[in-house]
Amino acid sequence: MPFDTTIILGAVAYDPKVVSIWEGIREYFNDAGAPFDFVLFSNYERQVQALLAGHVDIAWNTPLAHVRVQHHTHGQSLSLGMRDSDRDFHSRLIVRTDSGISSPKDLIGKKLAVGSADSTQARILPLHFLKESGADLNSVRLLLFDTDAGKHGDTGTSELDVLEALRRGDADAGTVGDLIWVMEQAAGHIDTTLLKSVWTSPPFDHCMFDALPDLDAGKIERFTSALFAMTWDNPEHRRLLELEGLKKWMPPREEGYDSLRVAIAEQGYPL
Amino acid sequence: MSTESTIAVAIDAGDLPMGGGLMALVRPALLLLEPGGVLAINSCHDSLQDDLSVWCRIKQHEYLGHEPAPMAGASGTTEGSGCHDSSVGKPKPTVRHLIRRGDLSVPQGSRETNMRLEAVNGRLSAEAVLSAVPMPETADPRTGFAPRGAQVEPGGPRYPFDLLDRNHVAPPEVAKLYDQAVESQWDGNRDIPWHKLPMHSPDLERAIGQVFTFLAENELSALYVPSRFVSRIHPAYAEVAMFLSTQMADEARHIDVFLKRARSGGAGLGVSSVTTSQSLLSLLELTDFTEATFLLSVLGEGTFVDLLRFIEDHAPDDVTAEVVSRARNDEARHVHFGLVHVRHALANDPGLYQRLENAVRRRAAVMAANSGVPEPLQDGLTILAAGSTTYRDIARGHDEFRALLDEMHTNRIKRLEHAGFTSAQANTLSELHTPNFM
Repeated sequence: MPFDTTIILGAVAYDPKVVSIWEGIREYFNDAGAPFDFVLFSNYERQVQALLAGHVDIAWNTPLAHVRVQHHTHGQSLSLGMRDSDRDFHSRLIVRTDSGISSPKDLIGKKLAVGSADSTQARILPLHFLKESGADLNSVRLLLFDTDAGKHGDTGTSELDVLEALRRGDADAGTVGDLIWVMEQAAGHIDTTLLKSVWTSPPFDHCMFDALPDLDAGKIERFTSALFAMTWDNPEHRRLLELEGLKKWMPPREEGYDSLRVAIAEQGYPL
Repeated sequence: MSTESTIAVAIDAGDLPMGGGLMALVRPALLLLEPGGVLAINSCHDSLQDDLSVWCRIKQHEYLGHEPAPMAGASGTTEGSGCHDSSVGKPKPTVRHLIRRGDLSVPQGSRETNMRLEAVNGRLSAEAVLSAVPMPETADPRTGFAPRGAQVEPGGPRYPFDLLDRNHVAPPEVAKLYDQAVESQWDGNRDIPWHKLPMHSPDLERAIGQVFTFLAENELSALYVPSRFVSRIHPAYAEVAMFLSTQMADEARHIDVFLKRARSGGAGLGVSSVTTSQSLLSLLELTDFTEATFLLSVLGEGTFVDLLRFIEDHAPDDVTAEVVSRARNDEARHVHFGLVHVRHALANDPGLYQRLENAVRRRAAVMAANSGVPEPLQDGLTILAAGSTTYRDIARGHDEFRALLDEMHTNRIKRLEHAGFTSAQANTLSELHTPNFM
């Protein structure tokens, strides 16, 4: 059987638009001389398994899945690229205006709503950074919203649950990613007399294209060449870039995941 | 950080948080800027920079940073209204945030300016609107249902509109005809003196029932045929769709009153003939808008106007006369639209005459087996014109019917010449026209 040059990419179907995105990117890659197909998974755990088993060439991974791939390949996996919008994410501490909380230290004895267990921006990193900022988490009662397990927070559902819990008064404070907080405000969904942001975490990075160290060099070359050739000025490219939420594909950088590696170790999160 | 001279627009945001209405100031202000233009937001809200920088990243604007607002009176600054910190009893410091507008979703075209439509004699007509906002020569299916003149964000879906060319869709007179149509609407329940209908002989009433059955059947086709084109007309030419909607409302009313007339005198409906059915199907199956307008409105409804006048002239009572008189006024407007549409298209498309002739020939070929006016209709019209079924009256009615056919032919030629055809072309087309009239 001849060697199949088709690049097989795995992505998680967290929303129906994922199909449109990758159908469009497949057409673009094939036209650009990089034979391409994709496989959709229902969760990142299955996708990481498939990558490690060699069933897909490249996985479009969340930060948690990225760190997991690196863990299982002893740091040898290849990082191929990320979105400009994956750089410098933040988490926010949102509080009820009547809670008396103005900084992480004020969380003592309060109820804190947090997002899904596998959400980097709504649970894992905000708890890590809040602790670094002086919050005594042992004296905080956590209200957990574990929805869409396996999607690693991509759907944003648990973050909306956190905001709703705050609105109802079920919690004094809550943690969400800054994307949700800003978009919900801009859409007019937030009552700013009830809720406000009092703390912003240090920056961290989000998604990454991961591959195993032995991926065919030709595939890597074709994938990255076609990927980085996408430009905002080309209307066909722009449609795909807008759907995927970026203006420009960027080379990988690893320092944006350092805090997550520390947080996972500290919280004993299973990899 | 930017210098004063690069700031194109400045807004005073007081202490509004992002989720507290701030965006209703920021977004419209950015819309006033060209991409690359800088907006200054003077705000005394704490830590707005975190929210603005994230929002700018999502929306592909550039957050340039923040700095203490210059003193009041300098360019782009305000007095910092609403920025009083009641807890300490003194004004809160005002910060100036700077945003450079990006090029994501920048609407095409510029905002309409100086749009001050003025009523003339208390009326604001569609014709005046068309004059203020002319139709483009061609239209882009990606602008969807955006009204002509709106700024359209790029990246919208392609709509299935395929009538995208002003020359073949929109005659300049269309808005005026729409105004006339709206003004001429009437009520088939109230405006016909139904209570005045006298009793006629059963033979005459059956003839009337037959004639109105034919009229209603043809008007049903005149309702359905334009409907097939409305959804294909690009909204840049909305006045055409709007006019056709009045035409369809007219046809609906005609169907209603024609059937009411047939059922008011005791005879009820008559026969629907195969000739009529074949003729109307060949209209319904047309896919070219200009061909359909030509066959339906110029040839079909034009001939129908002559038929309605004939019925009116020979109507045995005021109710029947009123029904067809009102319908004829509406039909004359449809014919007018057809004429100006075809004339406009012919003037811009030298190959159109041949296409129209071919369409008429194709239809004539379909109708080849049916050489005459549908028999039930011919008999109905003859008896109607006779006024009775005595043979002397029938002889006169028959002559009247034959005169009607001649008159229809003569008037078709006049209309065709008016639409821009030569006499020879007009004669050919009229000869080929369907024996079903419509």
